[in-house]
This record gives sequence, structure tokens and C-alpha cells, in this order.
Amino acid sequence: MRTYILKRIFEIVPTILMITFVVFVMMRSVPGDPVVSLLGDAYTEEDAIKAREAYGLNKPIVVQYFIWLGKLVQGDWGTSILSGRPVLQDVMIRLPVTLELIVLSMGVALLIAIPAAIIGAIRQNTWSDYTATTIAMVGVSIPEFFIGVLFLLIFSIGMGGLLPSSGWMYLPGTCPTMVCGASIWGNVQHVLMPAFALGVGRAALLTRLLRASMLEVIRTEYVTTARAKGLAERPVVLKHALKNALIPTVTVMGLQVGFLIGGAIVVETLFAMPGLGTFGIDAIIARDYQQVQGFALITAFAFVVINLLVDLTYTFLDPRIRYA
Amino acid sequence: MAISPEPRPVPPISGGSLREADLPGVAAITVPTRAAASTSPFVEGIRRLRKSVTALVGVAIVAVLLVVALFADVLAPQSPIASNQAQTFQRPSWDHPLGTDQLGRDMLSRVIHGTRISLLVGVSSVLLALFVGVPFGMIAGFYGGRIDTAIMRVMDLILAFPIYLLAIILMVIFTPTAGLIGTMKVTGAIAIVRIPIYARLVRGSVLSIKEKEYIESCRALGQHDPTILFKHVLPNCLAPIIVTTTLGIATSIIVEATLSFLGLGTQPPTPSWGWDLKANVAFIQANAWLSLFPGLAIFVTVLGFNLFGDGLRDALDPRLK
Repeated sequence: MRTYILKRIFEIVPTILMITFVVFVMMRSVPGDPVVSLLGDAYTEEDAIKAREAYGLNKPIVVQYFIWLGKLVQGDWGTSILSGRPVLQDVMIRLPVTLELIVLSMGVALLIAIPAAIIGAIRQNTWSDYTATTIAMVGVSIPEFFIGVLFLLIFSIGMGGLLPSSGWMYLPGTCPTMVCGASIWGNVQHVLMPAFALGVGRAALLTRLLRASMLEVIRTEYVTTARAKGLAERPVVLKHALKNALIPTVTVMGLQVGFLIGGAIVVETLFAMPGLGTFGIDAIIARDYQQVQGFALITAFAFVVINLLVDLTYTFLDPRIRYA
Repeated sequence: MAISPEPRPVPPISGGSLREADLPGVAAITVPTRAAASTSPFVEGIRRLRKSVTALVGVAIVAVLLVVALFADVLAPQSPIASNQAQTFQRPSWDHPLGTDQLGRDMLSRVIHGTRISLLVGVSSVLLALFVGVPFGMIAGFYGGRIDTAIMRVMDLILAFPIYLLAIILMVIFTPTAGLIGTMKVTGAIAIVRIPIYARLVRGSVLSIKEKEYIESCRALGQHDPTILFKHVLPNCLAPIIVTTTLGIATSIIVEATLSFLGLGTQPPTPSWGWDLKANVAFIQANAWLSLFPGLAIFVTVLGFNLFGDGLRDALDPRLK
């Protein structure tokens, strides 16, 4: 097990290198030059050449990448050309916002999906099953931003500003700078709509997958055996059926991480949250090379680490699965 | 029909029953008649599809949307791009059933015309991905070895990316524009991120199909590889391709709407649901109706393809459930 985890951790490195390298090359093929936007109206050819030299933009792309990488291993994520701020600092300010959003939305998804899938599966073809599957079908067909807009209409405008439509309030203790406001209630108010907007779609998808695999598992012999030996329905469903049904579901949820990142970008944009999603999209559109690299790095890292966690979850769900 | 080497009547044999052992000499050979052969898996599938109410609802939604997209010019009461400063933020009325936006443009006409972009991008991006991904998957699976490794490495490279990160950067490189060219750029970006899905799917199917005896007999008959691939391998992996394509259209429409919402889709004045929704959210206090309708349009379209795709999956390939 330990060698397996070590092996996987070593595999993470090339994947991250590859993703960041491809992003690096792609961003530099984007039409437009950050130096032009940096100099703005004061643009002269001489200043532009000086600026390119100062930021190392005149060197070959591969050389530039290795310079970035060399600084990275020393803990320097580079400095934004446009804002002049260190990238790592910005990422650290925005990370807690996105982390909270994603963790809560996954919580919302699990809280809705697991009961809905269990009810749908053990009462297959009854009204409760039809209701669960219909709602799930509607849920997978609504894009996150439209759910968000509906929430805005109901809770922010309809209920006279019950929940704030945009912005952010940090949890006490997570506030990265001196200027941001922090309160538990304020944080809850700000995170509720985004977390549900992002979570509802995942919940719908999870319900559909989990219900389908529950239906398969419930018909297996070990579930019949568990019932036959006199186990109560509850442990049969929760310990024998659910745990095994979760395996294929976890796989697909792992594959969904890419969509979750997109969802975070969209939801953060809609609710004007100062998270990594808005950081990334703003950086990409402004062609802020260094910030985009920082965003790609942390996204790639999250992506591979979550996929590793998915694989490790299997051993918990099914102890027969062992990694040599 | 039973062919018997002997003139005496032989009872017809249905499959490998015990009665076969009773027969003297060479066992009777049953030759499948035309009537029996005509119930192909696809005919069976269509029959099952017609029984599913939800699938039919999906088909109906998709059909209506296709009609709306084709006849948008006729159906839309007004021009989707003609602004009218005297009539901004109108609430739904007889003149403007869905109201007007901040430029006084008729929302109903914009939603109707938006169907074109949404369906065009949804369908063509998936077809483009299909036409690139399927041949690559077939070649990789059929020939194996170095070709397989080379193709699948490239596919894995694309798959290693979080899909939205790749789609967003591709759109920034392509620089979003309006009109047909702008729509083609979005189509291209979405197709690129979807190619590996097909390549993987088809490669997996081909790997198992190429070991089948009927492929071996094709080889024994001296058929050429392209003939074997297109006439015998491809038809046998069509079911999962069709299902993935239908459900993929739903996903592509969401991705298109998302890119538009982020300002990276087809640019105005071309009407696009995602863009309209985003633009109108800014005025949500002034007119809450506006952002509702483009969003509903996206939802109904995606729902239609999802229902259709789900029905197809149940009908064509129950194993995929």
C-alpha cells in the first residue's frame, strides 16, 4: 500500500509538469501581448523591448518555462506582470474561498444524493422512486449558473435581500489580509447560494449513478444472504449494498472533477466571489502569464490529488481491492 | 426450413435441444430465414425506444427545437438584433411575449434565434469530435502496438486536463468573434476536448471485437483492413457511439452556454443563450424576467437531449446502464 501511494505520488509530478507546460505554451500562442496592456497609452517600442527583457519574455518559450520551473521549486510562483503582486500570495488569499465552496457543495451533493438514491433503489418503480429520478433528470439538465440565477431571484430579490447576491465574507481566522471582514453568520449567508448552486447539479448526477448501481447490488447474492441471516434492513442497505454501490459512483465522480472546476469558475463569476475561479478566468482573459501559470498549477495539483484520493477510496469501500 | 441429407421427413430443430442426439447421421442444419434475420439489434432497439414515454418526450422536445432552429426567421416576431431605445426593459406583453432587454430587443426573438447557435454548436461539435475520435480509436484498437501507444498518449494528454480549463484557454487562443465564424470557433474548442472520449470508447470496443471469430473469418477470406474496419468492426460498436453522441450533445450545449456565460462564446450581436443570461443578470433588479427565459431555453434543450439519450441507452445497450 505504502509503495503504491509513493508510486502514485511520483506519477503526479510528470502529470503536473505536462499540464503546466502545455498551458505555458498555449498561453503564449494567445494573440496579444501583456506588455502592450501593461504600458497602455505610454507604449513605445523601446519601453516594450525593455519590459520584455525585464520579464524574460524575449527568451525562447522552453527556456522561459524552465526559468519558471526553477523559481517554482524554490517556492517562488513568479510575480504578475500586470498587477505586480506575487502570484503565490494571491493564490493563497483566494484558495480558502474556493476550497470552502467546493467542500460545501460536495457535502450538499452527498446529503441530497445518498438518501434520494437509496429511496429510489429500494422502492424501485414507486412514486417516491419516480419523484427522485425525475428531479435528478431535471437537476442534471440545468447548468449551475441558471440554478444560481434562480436562487438569486428567489432568495436575494424575491425575499428582499435575505441572502447577499454577491461578494464574500471570510470565516474568522481564515482572513488572509488585514482589510477583509470576517464573521461566521456573514460567511454562511455568502456561501449558501453558491454552494447549493454548485452542489445541486452534482447531487442529481450522483443520485442517478448511485441509484443505478444500488439496483444492481441489491440483486446480488450477498445482499440476499445478509437478509436471509436475519440482518435488519438498515445494515443490509447501508453496510452491504451502499458501500459496494459507491465504487462505480466514486469513479465517475472522480472523472467529474474537471466539470467541478468549471462549475466553480462559473458560480464564482455569477456571485462575484473572490475565489480561484474568478482569479483564473480573469488572468486568462487578461493574458497575465504568471497568474495563469499559478492557476494551472493549483488546478492541475487539485485534479491529480483528487484522482489519487478516488483510487485510495476504493480500498476503504472494498477491502478486497489492494494495491501492491 | 430444414435441410436433411435423407429423404425422410425430419422434425424441425430449434437450437441445441436433446432431440438432436436422436437424429441419425448428419444432424439437420437449420438455415436462418430472411424473416428471422431482419430483427437486427437496431430494429429491436427502435421498438424498445418507441415504448419508452420519457424517450419519446425527449424526441418530441428535440424535434420541436429543430423546427424552431430551422424556421427561426419565420417564427421570430421581430429581429433579434434590432434595438429600440424607446422600449427597454419591457415586461412580458402581447407585443413582446417575453419582454425586451436593455437595448429594447425582443427577448422572444432572441431566444428563438439562440436555438440556432445552441443546436449548431451542440450537434456539430459532437459530430466533429466523432469524426476525428472514432477513426483514431479504431486504428489504435485494431492495430495496437506503437500506433496505439502514440494515439492514446495524445488522447490521455487531452484527458489529463480539467475540461473547462482547456476549453477556456482554447477559446482565448481562437479569440471569440460574432457570427458563423465565432460559432465555428466554439464548435472547434468543444470538439477538441471531446475527441478523446470517442477515441477511448471506440478503442475499448474494437479491442474486444477484433478477437471475435467473425473478424478472423474476414481475414481468412482475404478482406482488406479498411473493409474489415468499416464493414464489420464499426457496425458492432455503433450502439455505445450513438448513445454517447446523444448524451454528448447535451453536455456540449451546457459547455457552450457556460463559455458564452463567461463571455468566451459566440459574441454579440449574434444571439446566444449563455451570453444573454449573463448580460441580463446585471439587470436582474430592473427586470427579473430577462435572465429567466434564456436559462429556461438552455434547460429545456439539455433536458430533451438527456431524455432522448437515456431512452436510447436503455433501448440500444442495456449494459451501459
